[in-house]
Amino acid sequence: CDDFDEDINVNPNRPSDATAMQLIGNSQLSLPGLSSSPNGEFLAQYLSETQYVNASLYPVTSTSFYSLYQGPLMNLEYVLTRPELVKEKDGPAANQLAVAKIMKAYYFWHITDRWGDVPFAEALQGTENLTPKYDTQEAIYNAMFALLKEANSQIVAGSISGDIMYNGDMEKWRKLANTLRMLMALRLSEVNAAKAQEEFNQALSAGIMASNADNFIFKHQANADNQNYWYGQIDPNGLGREWWALSQTLVENMKPYNDPRLPVYGNPTRATGEYVGLPSGETKDMDTEKYSLLGNAIWKQDAPVYLVTYAEALFAKAEAAKRGWISGGETEAEANYTMAIRQSMAQWVGNAAAADAFLMEPGIAYTPANGLEQIATQRWVHLFMHGYEAWAEWRRTGYPDNLIAPNGVNVPTRQIYVETEKFNNTENYNEAVQRQFGGDDGLYGKLWWDK
Amino acid sequence: CCCGTAFAQQLTISGKVTGAEDNFALPGVSVIVKGTTTGVTTGADGMYQINVPNAEATLLFRFLGYAPKEVQVGNQNVINVQLNADNKQLQEVVVTALGIERSERSLGYATQQVEGENLTLTKEQNVIGSLAGKVAGVQITGSSGASMGGTQKIKIRGVNSLNGEDEPLIVVDGTPISNANFAESAGVDYGNLAQDINPEDVESINVLKGPAASALYGIRGQYGVIMITTKKGSRGQKNITVQLNSAVSVERVGNLMPYQNMYGGGSSQTWRTLANGEKYVDMQVDESWGPKMDGTMVRQIFSFYPQDPEYGKLTPFVPHPDNIKDYYETGYNINNGVTISGGNEGTNFRLSLNDTRIEGVEPNTWLDRNNLGLSLGTDIAKNLTATANLTYAYTNAQRPGQGSEDGSRYLGQWFQRSLDLKRLENYQYPDGTYLHWNLRRSYASSGTLSNFTPLYWNNPYFEAYENTSNDRRDRLFGNVGLSYTVLEGLKVSGFIRSDMYTQSIESRTAFGGKDLPRYYVGKFQNREFNYEFLGQYNKTFGDFSLNANVGANLFDRRYTYLSQNTEGGLTAEGFYNIDASIDRPTTNSYLLRKELRSMYAMASVGYKDTYFIDASIRNDRSSALPKNNNSYWYPSVSASMVFSELIGWTPLSFGKVRVSYAQAGSDLDVYSTSATYQVGTVYSGPQTVNTLYVPDVLNNPDIKPSFAHSYEAGLDLRFLNGRLGLDLTYYKQRNKNQIIELDVSGTSGYSSAIINAGLIENKGIEAVLSATPVQTENFSWNSVFNLSRNRNKIVELYPGVDVLTHGTAYYSSTYSYLNSYSGKAYGSLIGQAYQRDEATGKILLDSNNLPLYTSATHDFGTVLPDMTGGMQNTFNYKNFSLSAMIDYQVGGQFFSRSKMLAVRTGLDPLTVEMNDNGKNVRDPLSEGGGVKVEGISAETGAEVTAYVDPQRYYGVAARRIYEDWLYDASYVKLREARLGYTFSKSEMSWLPVKSANLAIIARNPLMIWQDAPKGLDPSELSTGSQAIGWYESGQLPTVRSYGINLNVTF
Repeated sequence: CDDFDEDINVNPNRPSDATAMQLIGNSQLSLPGLSSSPNGEFLAQYLSETQYVNASLYPVTSTSFYSLYQGPLMNLEYVLTRPELVKEKDGPAANQLAVAKIMKAYYFWHITDRWGDVPFAEALQGTENLTPKYDTQEAIYNAMFALLKEANSQIVAGSISGDIMYNGDMEKWRKLANTLRMLMALRLSEVNAAKAQEEFNQALSAGIMASNADNFIFKHQANADNQNYWYGQIDPNGLGREWWALSQTLVENMKPYNDPRLPVYGNPTRATGEYVGLPSGETKDMDTEKYSLLGNAIWKQDAPVYLVTYAEALFAKAEAAKRGWISGGETEAEANYTMAIRQSMAQWVGNAAAADAFLMEPGIAYTPANGLEQIATQRWVHLFMHGYEAWAEWRRTGYPDNLIAPNGVNVPTRQIYVETEKFNNTENYNEAVQRQFGGDDGLYGKLWWDK
Repeated sequence: CCCGTAFAQQLTISGKVTGAEDNFALPGVSVIVKGTTTGVTTGADGMYQINVPNAEATLLFRFLGYAPKEVQVGNQNVINVQLNADNKQLQEVVVTALGIERSERSLGYATQQVEGENLTLTKEQNVIGSLAGKVAGVQITGSSGASMGGTQKIKIRGVNSLNGEDEPLIVVDGTPISNANFAESAGVDYGNLAQDINPEDVESINVLKGPAASALYGIRGQYGVIMITTKKGSRGQKNITVQLNSAVSVERVGNLMPYQNMYGGGSSQTWRTLANGEKYVDMQVDESWGPKMDGTMVRQIFSFYPQDPEYGKLTPFVPHPDNIKDYYETGYNINNGVTISGGNEGTNFRLSLNDTRIEGVEPNTWLDRNNLGLSLGTDIAKNLTATANLTYAYTNAQRPGQGSEDGSRYLGQWFQRSLDLKRLENYQYPDGTYLHWNLRRSYASSGTLSNFTPLYWNNPYFEAYENTSNDRRDRLFGNVGLSYTVLEGLKVSGFIRSDMYTQSIESRTAFGGKDLPRYYVGKFQNREFNYEFLGQYNKTFGDFSLNANVGANLFDRRYTYLSQNTEGGLTAEGFYNIDASIDRPTTNSYLLRKELRSMYAMASVGYKDTYFIDASIRNDRSSALPKNNNSYWYPSVSASMVFSELIGWTPLSFGKVRVSYAQAGSDLDVYSTSATYQVGTVYSGPQTVNTLYVPDVLNNPDIKPSFAHSYEAGLDLRFLNGRLGLDLTYYKQRNKNQIIELDVSGTSGYSSAIINAGLIENKGIEAVLSATPVQTENFSWNSVFNLSRNRNKIVELYPGVDVLTHGTAYYSSTYSYLNSYSGKAYGSLIGQAYQRDEATGKILLDSNNLPLYTSATHDFGTVLPDMTGGMQNTFNYKNFSLSAMIDYQVGGQFFSRSKMLAVRTGLDPLTVEMNDNGKNVRDPLSEGGGVKVEGISAETGAEVTAYVDPQRYYGVAARRIYEDWLYDASYVKLREARLGYTFSKSEMSWLPVKSANLAIIARNPLMIWQDAPKGLDPSELSTGSQAIGWYESGQLPTVRSYGINLNVTF
């Protein structure tokens, strides 16, 4: 009775080794999911449900963040904590780590802005800590700023291989890191304007996106493995669901101004050929032929997902100028505002040819008195289909101010923690809910930055 | 044939038979002229009269529970006989662990044996299923007969494993065989693999219930062992016996859920109209909240198909009360078998062939199975015997799906009551296009449809005939062995045992339905070998007896599969092949290797055939365990005393007490100890990126096997020469250090971690009461009743963790769970309940008078039953024999999503009830309709009585709140009944037949009582691989089967 074969219990069905870039690549595959979510579109009221109206009525249900931790974040944690995985053949180690940090910050930004306080410092430790404590959102923002700062300063010359997002172009990653830091800083405008201004300016001077070519875009492909989420839902050869129409709110914010993006965002109705939005939460008379369904260009198989864009950065700069965080005053605000709209047109329509006429429309043309509202509203139009981000900006600014309360239910101000945290991480969950919301883990608790 | 001279000498003998102890008359004693077939039985007074050929004849007296007696006639005319009670009848030999034969008298632990004839009463095809209700402490959860070979789940003495994977080891003639299951919790239920055993081959099944009985199986014996012994030919038999066995049954669905027949498809009672004013049925709604089925002339779905003869026509909107029932067909089950057995002085053999053909009650489902069994034994030299037992089984089936909305299962969940299923049966038009019922609405203006792709549901007949799933399995298991008797009492033997199968599964998703066409094919191959050595020594020294065994076993398993799935559609209609995949197909290949090396020894010492002590030990080394920590020991001890020998109280024919303690274990899955990565999706865009990711399950390099500690005590009593028997057992089993996939907070980076943790305890009693209340010359009644009561408790889970989630179900933004909590019984049902006023218990209502509900954390209590058992009665009257098998369960519960959805979608009669205004709940609220809601307003605290629109009310109560859809799982079921007639010799003298029996059989004829509502079957909650049934959804309908069975022996 000697020992068994050396390799008898070595799993031949799974790889025993991985490289940092393979793990980073997998983390990148989860990026479109941060945007392509019906719930996100309902929270921002971009889309309305044409059938089985449920999620757009904001039911009191929990939403899980587990898959983000277990999936992309855990892969990134491996990269950041296991030096042996980082192979120089894939490019400078410092650059691989920098990308991991930027993505980690980006994912956590998304998570904390949806739920509030979440595990950060003690998270992702496996058996070392199966019940991580919840960090305050303020601590998480500070940690995210630090991660992005580190990433910016550690990037060296030399590209990396196996990068789905920027094909290894580290300058684009650097610009993304700084743009993210700037956008995160803006989010703190109501809770800590001084800190916000300081981070904003540091990020700006470190170098942000300079054109649409710098956009952080997930490029879907025309094959089943890499296709756009909406294609699988809507394509008549797939599930063929005509479940989503443009919201009345969106159409109201676009149609009166002849917004050239509207024909991209939605289709004319089959009944009349007009653009007609469906009020969010409407449950009666929802014939799909009477409303503008989601635009063909948006749901085509290889339609890209815009995650962080140059136009968004320009809107941020316009707002910063308006707030006096950066120099230039109203002139700088207006310049950035119009530039943002031009870039948005270029992004969505393919060219900015119609931008001039649009910018002349009363209500669209910049007026300092309504500057903040115009910037915020046009940012919301630009962020179409990036519902969670638009919803966060709506919570911060209150614009657009024509979101409705479907069936009398207000737009939530956060999401409810995943129910199983009550089973699996009871004490820390209770502590976090008590600390932030006085014990009520509901949809209307206010996040730290949401004042 | 007779000859006159012999006849002339015939003598008539009479007399009385009495019991030796009490001198009471013994009725029913058989009196036979030895060496002939002439025989009579004694009457109620013990008297008999018989003719014998001459004075040399010998009379043989036989009676159950008494030693037979022979008396030579000589010159006597009256022969009175006293029979001695025979305690040695309790020397029944049972097959124990490792195939060691022991006298039942000497065992210090409970086993319960079921004879083969009781397993084939009604030709149940799955031997596990045929145990239902027959063994105390064994719970069988079956599946509907419509599944054709669906899973029959077996649990011994409660839930002993936190992960629910506590199925016993199945051993056939000493060969452990796989009872794996390829089914998932929804989809096609391919059933548990033990069904490859041909029930006709089974001589007996002995259930080793606790670790004391199964300790010799060590790391494989924690959850008990089902020891199956097959029939063998007999030696010394000069002639060959041929048996034919034939059964034909007709199967019909029974117990369908009731449905309402007043309102048809749609979401509103107001008719939808086309531009020309024609009313039409809303084909995009899969619910029955539509207009009244009052004969209104409307355009129904087929009138929108231009290729339909009724295109554009108006037809009356009327109910079709049997529309779901109409979907099911009459099934047939034809079973034919032949066995040939025999032997001579040095050889015995048995060959069996069996052919089963089933046509299911679901359209276009069928199953064919062939079994071939061969058993051989021959002396190849003096004291050297070779044996072989081989079974080959081939199964080929096309089975229906089951579970939530799978295949046609949506019928009772999402449906239009106005649909005529007979109209849908011709699901394909001559031009090759398909008729469906659930489409997007037409353009109101033109009344034409542009898109004929079904929206949510395919025509059920399209599902049945086009989206088929096929499976095939070739299986060979058995053993070859040599045993050598070294000297009197000492035998050594060696065996090679094997179980090999190849399982193929393929499924098709056709063009023309709601889903992208798809083809899947998988091939799963398993090869298990056991190389075994056993030395046995039996010896009596004066008052002492010794039975000693030593052995060793090497277990070697190799399991592989290769499965492929097309992606992105198929290139050619009707061509189902991986080659037709439009995108790169998904492929999975898998290899598993495992070895187990074991040594064991067992000794039993008896004194005066009255006191017995046993001890055993086994060592196991498993390749699945960490290398430096892979060897574990499993001991057991037991003792018994036949106290009836000591007290000598006549009515007590036999009495034994027994106690035991044992440890057994269970192994873990291979590859659970080292970390790996998983292959992610390949990004093929401007650049191709191969990705890997960190798995969600955290492996553990320090894992240990789980241990069971079992304590057991029992009492075995038989009275009145065995006419009455009682077997009582008390047990306590503590299963420690369970290997569980503990659900952890996902924020740790993992969804679950494999850990050793937990302590789960089962305590219980088992009672088997057997009786022969009546036994006369022509009539006898035998009855066996068993009962078991088990108490389960999770003593602890993992430090800091007091809940473990076994199952999660999600539907319409609402979760439900099967959880275990430390301090409570296993398997609590968790879901959303009504919010209630603390003081009055009344439900709380929102401002719309709709009920408020809790979060999905309400504990509805355990799903485990309080008591299970069964009763078998056999009545013999002359040549007739009637057997009936009843099984029952007390307690337990389950959640029915089928019922909940039937209410939510307006199918259930509840949705057309009369309210206390005497109005239909669907009538307008202004006219007194609506569901009456009584509760307390959460806002004002005031008591509220209100009437609410049923669609809105059940949109909450039958969607978000699980409280009303939880049902008690108690039932009493007549599972099997058989009325047989054995033809007497004289009736068949013109035939070359030794014996013949013709029977009427009924399987599952009657649910005598159940607590759950009609249409749900609490005894058929098994859903494929789901360890414990708790969430019923889309259960296949109950099938009742009636047939005839003919057995002929030549």
